Amino acid sequence: MTTVLLGPQRFRMTAGTVARGLAPEGTVATVTAGWRDREKDDAELDQVLGGRSRNLHLFTRLGHVVRHDRTFATAASAYNRAVDEASELYTLRLQHALDAVYAISRRSVRDDLVDSSLRAGLQSVRDIDAWFLWVLTELEGELRADGGVDTSDVIAQHRAEVAEIIGGASLLAIAGGHVAYLSRCLRLFAVEPPDHLPIIGWSAGAMVLTDLIVLYNDKGPEGVRPSEVWDRGLGRVHGIVAMPHARRRLQLDDTDRNTVLAHRYAPARVVLLDDGGRVVIGDDGELPPDARVITAEGRVSTVAEGAGAVPNGGPIGRGGGG
Amino acid sequence: MRRLAINRLLERPVDQARAERFVAKHGSPIVEGPRATFLWVGEADEVLVRHRVQGLPDPLSMRRVPHTSLWYVSIDMPPESRVEYQFEIIRGEQRESHVNDPLNPRLAHGPFGASSVCAATGYVVPEWTLPDPEARSGELVDETLQSKALRRQVRFKVYVPARFVPLVHHPLLVVHDGDDYLQYASMKTVLDNLIHRGEIADLVVAFIPPGNRLVEYANHAPHARFVARELVPYLSDRYPLLGGPGGRTLMGSSFGGIASFSTAVRYPELFGSLLLQSASLVFTDIAFDHGGGAVFDPVVKFVNSYRAKPRRVTDRIYQSCGMYEPLITPNRSMANVFADAGMDVRYREARDGHNWENWRDRLREALTWLYPGDQRFVYE
Repeated sequence: MTTVLLGPQRFRMTAGTVARGLAPEGTVATVTAGWRDREKDDAELDQVLGGRSRNLHLFTRLGHVVRHDRTFATAASAYNRAVDEASELYTLRLQHALDAVYAISRRSVRDDLVDSSLRAGLQSVRDIDAWFLWVLTELEGELRADGGVDTSDVIAQHRAEVAEIIGGASLLAIAGGHVAYLSRCLRLFAVEPPDHLPIIGWSAGAMVLTDLIVLYNDKGPEGVRPSEVWDRGLGRVHGIVAMPHARRRLQLDDTDRNTVLAHRYAPARVVLLDDGGRVVIGDDGELPPDARVITAEGRVSTVAEGAGAVPNGGPIGRGGGG
Repeated sequence: MRRLAINRLLERPVDQARAERFVAKHGSPIVEGPRATFLWVGEADEVLVRHRVQGLPDPLSMRRVPHTSLWYVSIDMPPESRVEYQFEIIRGEQRESHVNDPLNPRLAHGPFGASSVCAATGYVVPEWTLPDPEARSGELVDETLQSKALRRQVRFKVYVPARFVPLVHHPLLVVHDGDDYLQYASMKTVLDNLIHRGEIADLVVAFIPPGNRLVEYANHAPHARFVARELVPYLSDRYPLLGGPGGRTLMGSSFGGIASFSTAVRYPELFGSLLLQSASLVFTDIAFDHGGGAVFDPVVKFVNSYRAKPRRVTDRIYQSCGMYEPLITPNRSMANVFADAGMDVRYREARDGHNWENWRDRLREALTWLYPGDQRFVYE
């Protein structure tokens, strides 16, 4: 089982080379649902993949389902509203919990007290993340039941077509874009690639291959906002939180914030995917030595340079570590 | 720091020709580090700079350079400041007011005409306020509503975003002084750009103009009834809008801020957010001598009443004010009152005054906070 996570492809296109290396022949099933209404503008991607791509057109299929299955459309609309409301509550709780963590880390009191308080604060943050994932699971269950996701003929037809294309492919390539549309399309059309099928995913496409999709942007117009758990991914690779565009979106020199980031998602490793970045994960599921990660001390390092796993529940420390 | 250009000029005797070369070289105002020098050339008995900047003498008297027709005055101009100003020229008994700086091509426009602009070191017009050819243009739809509350026909405009999808429910923003926001704060361009870049959600925006502004916007029950009981239901019937208060925001500047706030007070829990820019939140702590004239009487009465019994009327308030306008003091005070009443307040001050470009420049931060777009989801 080979999975390759790539950085953004806009300025350094490496997907074609990687694809040829993984599957020199055969069809490449592609997912460009993250491009939304530009999903079909994939001629350049097809060229990069040697003219052998077959687009699953998941976003177009989503539109077809919404137009032809009123039951699903109604339930999906209610689901979207509920997710937005839950997200608002989650963000509110998260901001306060993280503010507390940062405030604790700045206090000049006994280190052991700060450390235990930080650990408790971070656990609160993890609990809030877990709450949001639980709510999403519940809402997803409502959507499946109320929207007839597993009984709809329209959806079943699309699922069968998607499964057939994937079944005949020698490689699956998932492009970046809007990660929420991407993950929802993959789930709705039950994209469950078999273990033997190699997969490459870049940017948002890399994010959806992990267990946990995390949103982040320290440099947005509204200022620094905390990273947010958004959804579960396909779980093709484990123990990784993929962060493409790291240089553009994260304040990588802020070791205090990055320490919290690393410990919050531990034992998963925060893996940075910038332009030209490539992380190949084989059967053992281990990160390669050159993978760039955020260390327990909030620094950017590679696995080879001794960036050990971030202990979950271990001491967090202060100074460089918050 | 290097001596100011005007002081270097004055180090040696100045004749008219040298003064004119100086003006031709520098124009006006001359911004040097944290100072600005205003210049005017002409025959007069007195030349004044009018600016309405709280903390500076207004008017500012200019000095004449002996043996020339060059007048000048230098003031502090902290970095990133933006000040609108005009000249007043006095010749004998004649007083010529509202004269824009003929040496300065930079003008700001508003409903009362144009003013010259002094932009300090570090101030740049935000690029997101300028037309972006790549941004898809939303549509402005003309609407007419016969209002029973206001006993008149209300003509207004509705902005429909370029990617408008009838199946999706959109947040609603109601903008007081809507025509002015479109004309003087480039609000359609701002919406097109921010939506195109995924920085804000695909908003439906109602730009409503006032009738008798000083009456309707000063805590006026019929206006509030119009917005809450006529406008919102009308728009909800015609556009796919989000149902709850979280999807509805009232916005306005100056008296328009009072119109927004007082409507939310009269109809609590109908609107989830307020966007208040330099709101005329004037109040008195004792007696009623507010100094704002009769038009402020209902405003002060309303704000005093709210301060006596603060309560939560929306979930969130984005509130901004210019540091150089007299309303900065009441706004600073009210930000705390709002927060203490349990509302989530984001309060911002800018080195600017009571004008449309100040309000334009704050739109990005306000709208991205109230209705963030899809940008955080997009990883191309």
